[in-house]
Amino acid sequence: MVKITVDGKEIEAKKGHTILSACRKAGIKIPTLCHLEGEREPESPCLLCMVDVEGKGRVRACNTEVQDGMVISAFSKELQELRKERLEVLAKSHYGDCRAPCNLTCPGGINVQGYVNLIAKGEYLAALMLIKEKNPLPISVGRVCPRFCETRCRRILLDEPIAINHLKRFVADYASEVGFRDDKVGSPTGKRVAIIGGGPAGLSCAYFLRKQGHEVTIFEAADKLGGLLRYGIPGYKLPNKEVDKEVQNILNLGVHVKLNSSWGKDFTIKDLKDRGFQAVFIATGLSRQKQLDIEGSEHAICGLRFLKDVNLGKAPEIGNDVLIVGGGDIAVDSARSAIRLGAKNVTVIYPRSRVELPAHQRDIEEAEKEGVQFFLMATPLRIMEEDGRLKVEMARTILDEPDERGIRHPIPMPGSRLFWNGDTVISALGQEGDPTFQSFGEIEASIKLSPRKTIKTHPSTMKTSVDGVFAGGDCATGSRTVIQAVAGGRRAAESIHEYLMSEKAGITEPRFNFTKGKRFEDVDMHNFDGYSIKLNEVMPARPPERRKGDFDEVNLGFSEEMAVREAKRCLKCGCLGLSKCTYRELCVDYKIKANLSQTRLKYPIDKSHPFIIVDANKCVGCERCVRSCRYDALELSIQRDNKSQVIESVLIRFNENCVSCGACVDACPTGTLSKKDVVIPLFPEQLNKKQSVCTYCGTGCSIDVVTKYGSILEIKADYDRPPNYGQLCVKGRFGYTFYRNEERLKKPLVRDSIDEPFREVDWDEALRIIATKLNHIKTHFGADSIGVLASSRCTNEENYLLQKLARAAIGTNNVDNCARV
Amino acid sequence: MRPGGNIPLLNSMLHCIIEEGLFDEDFIKKRTDDFDKLKEHVKEYPPEKVFGITDVPAELVRKAARKYATSKNSLVLYGLGVAEHKGGTAGVIALANLVLATGHVGKPHSGINPLRGQNNVQGACDMGTLPYTYPGYQSTSDQSVLEKFATNWGVNTLPVTDGLLEPEMYSRAIKGKFKALYCVGYDPAQTQANIGHVHEGLKAMDFVIVQDLFLTETAKFAHVVLPSACFYEKDGTFTSGERRVRRVNKIIDPPGKAKADWEIICLISQALGYPMFYTSPEQIMAEIARLTPAYAGISYDRIGDKGLVWPCPEPDHPGTPLLHTERFPRGKANFVPVSYIIPEEVSDDEYPFILVTGRRLEHYNNGSMTRRCEGFDLISPEELVEINPEDAKRLGIQDGQMVKVESRRGRVKVRAWVTERSKPGTVFMTFHFQDALTNILTSPGLDSKTLTPEYKVCAVRIVP
Repeated sequence: MVKITVDGKEIEAKKGHTILSACRKAGIKIPTLCHLEGEREPESPCLLCMVDVEGKGRVRACNTEVQDGMVISAFSKELQELRKERLEVLAKSHYGDCRAPCNLTCPGGINVQGYVNLIAKGEYLAALMLIKEKNPLPISVGRVCPRFCETRCRRILLDEPIAINHLKRFVADYASEVGFRDDKVGSPTGKRVAIIGGGPAGLSCAYFLRKQGHEVTIFEAADKLGGLLRYGIPGYKLPNKEVDKEVQNILNLGVHVKLNSSWGKDFTIKDLKDRGFQAVFIATGLSRQKQLDIEGSEHAICGLRFLKDVNLGKAPEIGNDVLIVGGGDIAVDSARSAIRLGAKNVTVIYPRSRVELPAHQRDIEEAEKEGVQFFLMATPLRIMEEDGRLKVEMARTILDEPDERGIRHPIPMPGSRLFWNGDTVISALGQEGDPTFQSFGEIEASIKLSPRKTIKTHPSTMKTSVDGVFAGGDCATGSRTVIQAVAGGRRAAESIHEYLMSEKAGITEPRFNFTKGKRFEDVDMHNFDGYSIKLNEVMPARPPERRKGDFDEVNLGFSEEMAVREAKRCLKCGCLGLSKCTYRELCVDYKIKANLSQTRLKYPIDKSHPFIIVDANKCVGCERCVRSCRYDALELSIQRDNKSQVIESVLIRFNENCVSCGACVDACPTGTLSKKDVVIPLFPEQLNKKQSVCTYCGTGCSIDVVTKYGSILEIKADYDRPPNYGQLCVKGRFGYTFYRNEERLKKPLVRDSIDEPFREVDWDEALRIIATKLNHIKTHFGADSIGVLASSRCTNEENYLLQKLARAAIGTNNVDNCARV
Repeated sequence: MRPGGNIPLLNSMLHCIIEEGLFDEDFIKKRTDDFDKLKEHVKEYPPEKVFGITDVPAELVRKAARKYATSKNSLVLYGLGVAEHKGGTAGVIALANLVLATGHVGKPHSGINPLRGQNNVQGACDMGTLPYTYPGYQSTSDQSVLEKFATNWGVNTLPVTDGLLEPEMYSRAIKGKFKALYCVGYDPAQTQANIGHVHEGLKAMDFVIVQDLFLTETAKFAHVVLPSACFYEKDGTFTSGERRVRRVNKIIDPPGKAKADWEIICLISQALGYPMFYTSPEQIMAEIARLTPAYAGISYDRIGDKGLVWPCPEPDHPGTPLLHTERFPRGKANFVPVSYIIPEEVSDDEYPFILVTGRRLEHYNNGSMTRRCEGFDLISPEELVEINPEDAKRLGIQDGQMVKVESRRGRVKVRAWVTERSKPGTVFMTFHFQDALTNILTSPGLDSKTLTPEYKVCAVRIVP
């Protein structure tokens, strides 16, 4: 052993070790991209591991052996600057997306590419669990999300976006059907949290708090949980029975619920604190609707109230002719509900143009198919009662001169005067903040409001102005989507966990991201070379003339085949090397600017290898691939600009020597080489790795099985474990996907004779048949007329039991195995 | 070399070693018996004479013999190309003679090792799934062994009659004397040689249970098929070719109602009225260690991430990576002269080619796993018959053309791969493909001791 000093810290090192490995063993991580233990030197080393050794000058830590008494400076400002420069040089030729646009766009931060591709593999439950990492309400969101992700889907540049949300709904419904229960909760922390409001934000927060082991009580004013999901969204979009399932899935984690418990009436925040709740999360939503500010507005009914009554089955009489004032979701939902209640003429009046309608265009189209009329560029002026009916005076609108912010507001066109006669006017101008809670108590009074009368919160911690009180969902943000409320609930749960435990909840995903273009117009169209057009699967829906007669769900959901077909359309934008990308890690550590990167696709992506994708646009020139290859199967040539050292051209090609052992892919520290089957971009800390032994030949190679939620993502080998020390053959590294092949036997099969087809039975019946038959044969022909064949597929324990079964249970030595093959 | 010539080749190497005095006299004296017998025997095998049987030039044989005998460390690794012959056992003995004569055994980087083609075939044998041994190769005819197992297993008697080897099961079934088979994780209907005979045997049985991942060829003859877990879905241990006992870990759940083999075996045993209850494979290993001297020191706590190599007789024993350092199991090893055993079939005018069968890198055994993995159909989608360009030209066969390979037992249609990998007069095929059952063709020849089929030699003709 020798002693060396690294940045003032003395460490022991083994003689003959390099500075790099000595430091690694001591937990000092000197950066490197090109080092490959035990392999030959690269032609152009990355030089990231350069350190200053007293008396020796600047050396590479990876090829300099330690000497007793060595004094090393490894992280001086100068060295760090040098490393940063090297990394920046590499960034200039790097081109790719770390994470897919869909993932980055989702307000919930869901790993969209991940779950879409798990669906493509038939791993539906793993897909669901990946969704639930961020969104515990997939049944609902899968039906009502406005789909931010799909608007950024790169496939738009090719043909149509992936029907992402329909896929989410598919896995959520699939899981309900098979009775999947996600009931893993964290170990109890002894902390108690009160959640006011059982809508999407409150439910989401409860889910994530339970996952951390905190005790949770939801206080809900209504007699059922669900909030807006239950009372605001009509059943034809989101049936209440689906909301019930969603709520139950969360309650399954063990959540206390106080129904009919109204904040301000039944309790105050002080009461909650007195009862021992260490934190409070306010998620009451927005129950107040903007007032219709015209003469006679008292004749209009409130849209939000109307939708709630419809959902409760207590819809008012609305007659044949209905006018809806507004243009948002509540307006369109009210209109479509009115149609379903039997109204003959339903008109939505809105003072701007069609494209400015705040409701989703998709919903507007559906509403029109059902017979809703949109009267645009018009506004009501007065509501009058006349002969027991309503009469509305209206005017066409024009846009006014821009105001101080440059916005042109609609105003009645001078001289325009129109009349509508009908039975019901529904006012649906949208929700707004309600500050009445401030009168509930002293603590409540000190909760600060935003100018829009919502609760003022920190956007990432969801903290209010009062210690230990958090708020999220619409009551804090104003009217937003369900997924945004869910994300708010999750962020609040993480923040509450941090507040209660003084530790981070889960991992923080660094924001660093290389991209092929944030805007569509920045994306090089050559990225789509070689793809053929394949339009998306169309959601099966009930025809308008049928569906408008009831409140049953309009969309019927994808079949399994449709879902898999749709999922396979995914272009897999996010980097498939994410989990092994050392380069990205270093970029994060050294705060490299991602916008330095290349903006055009330089080399076509080569998919000709059976298992490996070559994307030379991501190459950092480390030469690890070619140096890890034992078969001389890779041709690599890298040209750099002499002066700037920027990589100017890269050629990576497999030749006919390749035996597909895959050592090169696992050695590559970027996504330049990636495995075709690894299609879920995950950070290393999001993966599970477990050791096992390869099932193929008798060498017994050590393998590391990398999984996510019960889906095997890849097989790797540890460079330190015998007998293979990181090496594997094609079967060992790539031959694992059989486990999820659809032909896997999943139930016992029986038949009376081999000319008949099999029939599926349960285990009890199969075992009964086996016992009857074997006992009969034993009685009539003796135990030696029965034999057992064991095999190499069985473990030692299983083989042991097989011979024990033959000898002790059956009574014969007729036991043999497959060793002759 | 010509298939089937292992024994004359090895004997001729010994001939050279003795002729040139390259044997290890000291070792032979201390550790072996009967060297003189061997010396006498291999006199008959000068390389020049043997060339006529093996096609290996004498000079090459001499070179190899010198190199093997005189190197500081020489290691013999042999595959199924030695074992899968009518003279398979004799071939291994010939190798052992070579190792003993040169003293290349009992020290690091030397010795003789079979390369096991299947991951836990070593463990399957270790665990006593053989008709003549209990776990740890304890003999079925040893009364004290029987008593030990009977006591531990809580039974009054254990079978005393000799059990049947697998090939005998089919023969007896055809004669109406063998009625039921429980076949776990093994597909003899595709992978056994001369499967026409195997199929006939399976059909003759009254009741066949197959336990596997997929509907294999053997499942076509089954009355009951039980769905089992694959190795990612169960806990246990595997023993590799170097006798290293390693942990296999359950990583994911089995699909549907599938269960781990050990769970199914317990259920069947209970259904048959013999109590077999274990809560985990670890518990089973504890029983194995209790009853098996070679595994006595092995437990899950000790296996760790590098494994333990048996014999491991005590709970604190480090394992035995190197055998035969001081003595052989019987004390001194004896030389057993072996003679050339002519294959069951040789090529003739009617069937002019020798078919050698084996494996290709890309697939495993019956292909039920690898053929269902993405990517593998790109590199090896179908069975191929490898034929030398000379032969192909003579027969007018183009690379990639469909041909019929016919033996006395049947015919298989496959694509031709014209390649130097096969030497003139021989062709090569694998048994990985359920849609081209190569083993319809293979020989009925068996090694007389182990009944291992002669996969490596049978006479065929190629019909374009």
